[in-house]
Amino acid sequence: MDIATFQAYGFFFFTAFMVVVLYSYIYHLYSSQKKGTRDYEKYGNIALNDDITDQPIEMVSKDDETKK
Amino acid sequence: MENRPLEYDYTVAKLFMYNAIFVGVAGMLAGVILAWQMAFPQFNYILGVNFAEYTNFGRLRAIHTDSVIYGFVLSAVWSSWYYIGQRVLKVSMAESKLLMFVGKAHFWIYMAASVIIVIGLQLGITSSKEYSEFEWPIDAGIVIVWVLWGISIFGLIGIRREKSLYISIWYFIATFLAVAMLHIFNNAEIPTYFASGGIGAWYHSVSMYAGTNDALVQWWFGHNAVAFVLTTPIIAMIYYFLPKESGQAVYSYKLSLLAFWGLMFVYLWAGGHHLLFSTVPDWMQTMGSVFSVVLILPSWGSAVNMLLTMRGEWQQVATSPLIKFMVMASTFYMFSTLEGPIQAIKSVNALAHFTDWIIGHVHDGALGWVGFMVIAAIFHMAPRIFKREIYSRSLMSTQFWIQTLGVILYFTSMWIAGITQGMMWRAHDEYGNLAYSFIDTVVVLHPYFTIRAVGGTLYLVGMFMFAYNMYKTMTSSRVIEESELQNATPMGA
Amino acid sequence: MFHWLEKNPFFFAVAVFVVIAFAGLVEILPNFAQASRPVVGAKPYSTLELTGRLVYIKNNCNGCHSQLIRPFKSETDRYGHYSLSGEYAYDRPFLWGSKRTGPDLMRVGNYRTTDWHENHMKDPAAVVPGSIMPAYTWLYKNIADVDTAYAEQLTVQKFFAVPYNKELPMADGSKVTVALADTLEGARASALEEAKVVAADMKDQSVKDAVAAGNVPEIVALIAYLNRLK
Repeated sequence: MDIATFQAYGFFFFTAFMVVVLYSYIYHLYSSQKKGTRDYEKYGNIALNDDITDQPIEMVSKDDETKK
Repeated sequence: MENRPLEYDYTVAKLFMYNAIFVGVAGMLAGVILAWQMAFPQFNYILGVNFAEYTNFGRLRAIHTDSVIYGFVLSAVWSSWYYIGQRVLKVSMAESKLLMFVGKAHFWIYMAASVIIVIGLQLGITSSKEYSEFEWPIDAGIVIVWVLWGISIFGLIGIRREKSLYISIWYFIATFLAVAMLHIFNNAEIPTYFASGGIGAWYHSVSMYAGTNDALVQWWFGHNAVAFVLTTPIIAMIYYFLPKESGQAVYSYKLSLLAFWGLMFVYLWAGGHHLLFSTVPDWMQTMGSVFSVVLILPSWGSAVNMLLTMRGEWQQVATSPLIKFMVMASTFYMFSTLEGPIQAIKSVNALAHFTDWIIGHVHDGALGWVGFMVIAAIFHMAPRIFKREIYSRSLMSTQFWIQTLGVILYFTSMWIAGITQGMMWRAHDEYGNLAYSFIDTVVVLHPYFTIRAVGGTLYLVGMFMFAYNMYKTMTSSRVIEESELQNATPMGA
Repeated sequence: MFHWLEKNPFFFAVAVFVVIAFAGLVEILPNFAQASRPVVGAKPYSTLELTGRLVYIKNNCNGCHSQLIRPFKSETDRYGHYSLSGEYAYDRPFLWGSKRTGPDLMRVGNYRTTDWHENHMKDPAAVVPGSIMPAYTWLYKNIADVDTAYAEQLTVQKFFAVPYNKELPMADGSKVTVALADTLEGARASALEEAKVVAADMKDQSVKDAVAAGNVPEIVALIAYLNRLK
């Protein structure tokens, strides 16, 4: 097997691998949203509630939240 | 509650905003002069034959491209960063003396470098690499400016209150990293003065790469400079400004994740499409071509996400000229990210390469997408920074229509010019001889060059209206209350 | 998978960098050494030619003229043999350009003469009616920077082993040696010798006078470079 054949196989499997990664990532995103394990869409509100006095969507550390 | 400062601090955002408006007008003025030079060569001597050395097309071209890309757009990007960064991280620049100092140093060193660049290009000091014409002392200066921006980004992130980084921040980080990498590799060069023991011009340098390799690195840079100066930071802007202005959260955060990682992975491969049918290896050309087509997906992912953000709120497009600018920008983004891949198909590229169609493509992206988004961003930020409403809504609306007309004249004329010229270059007569001499293919373009110059002039007129509107907004428009600044930007008649 | 990534700026930045650097690694590195080998017949630039190349760059000629002939019949008919990678082995930087507002110049030395360039650069539209190229009158007055070209020659000889003062095979079987002077004075003298050959074919009296007085006007260096493009 010369280097070109090797490259061709490598390229093919790499592409297939990337496709699998992409689709499982999409599946992961949408299923965890649906099951309610994680709400991604709430992060969209970071742009809307952005006054300095607004409550952050998630505080940087848990301690800050318990302090108030 | 912990002890928070009362306000975000926009000192640095303000400085960059002034520069973006000024250089926007100046850089586009240079572009309009170039356009008229192509239609009527006597414009090469606008300051007289004795000054033609400094006013001819060759010298002005780099000044136009660099000032618009690195002056107008980059200033607006940084203005937006110093504005958006604080807001989505919920931390004020005023909380850190260090970051404030870094921000100001960032601006002033950048300004100093800009002035030196313009003078240098005017004198013909150039490395000839497109969009990277600067010689080594400037390249070093750019590194300093870039590092300062990096400190500002990661410094502000370091003291943030909002744990999760908003979409815009991802794109700013990507811009920072990619341009750093590209700049360093493309400008690998040896200063000849030091290498030769003190002979010749001190600023001159020679590239580390020769011929085909140099071309490969340059277009890996050139294509991705477009990606990471004219695309990713502009996406960062629209992901913040459109939801904020319309009061609608981004349509799909998940889609934005997919589009982001897709764009990061795919974009860097596509540089090879600048070198189709050249002497770089075939497989790289094919790679460049294929990935350029794949690039449609993540690009449209972002654009569709933006348009769908307006779902149920389309009446805002009719009522707000600011929303008009942004919706038109994302439409032009879709348009030019479809046109680009088409031009990257080998058989199309054989016709289009080296012609004005490429110039048309660049400008529907640059004027329609980047220009409109930058203008919209400044319109949104100014009332919040200066605490005054936009001086005139009708002026803004007029500007929008004049500039849209300008862009349309620009790219339609360049399509016709490019395809006409490409077809004439390859035309053979019945005996297999070339049908046209080169000059035939130049003379025929005159009407299209004229139309393009008119289109460019219209866009420039719009820029002057913009500058005037902003000047009035900053100085004499009605003062507004904090409560008026929730979503839609307040505008005077 | 990535919900933690957007909260960890450091790992986020690392991930972005890996993803964007990947393409460069795969695409650019593998063919690097191979692509820079000179083809038989390629030779380094002489001092005056390189001076002219710097004039070409200074005036951004590459903004409107390409130096890349693509392998199509219409291009080889018009400009000559299509470009080969090895022909560019001594081009730092490359000057392919990205736009043909004017014609390709890769092999302009095959079909244009010193006399043609002299007239054309003074008033392009007089030589080619309808031309939109501006006149480059300052090239006839400005004195070219031979020193910087010599510094560049020394640099590329030292760092990239460019074969100056070595016998190189040409396509027709002959051998050619491109000389590089030992001293700056020597380089200036050899550039002037080359300039005299070019100036002998020119008509502009002020250019001839300048060369006779020991100076090299930019136009002379530029024409020497253009004549060499074959």
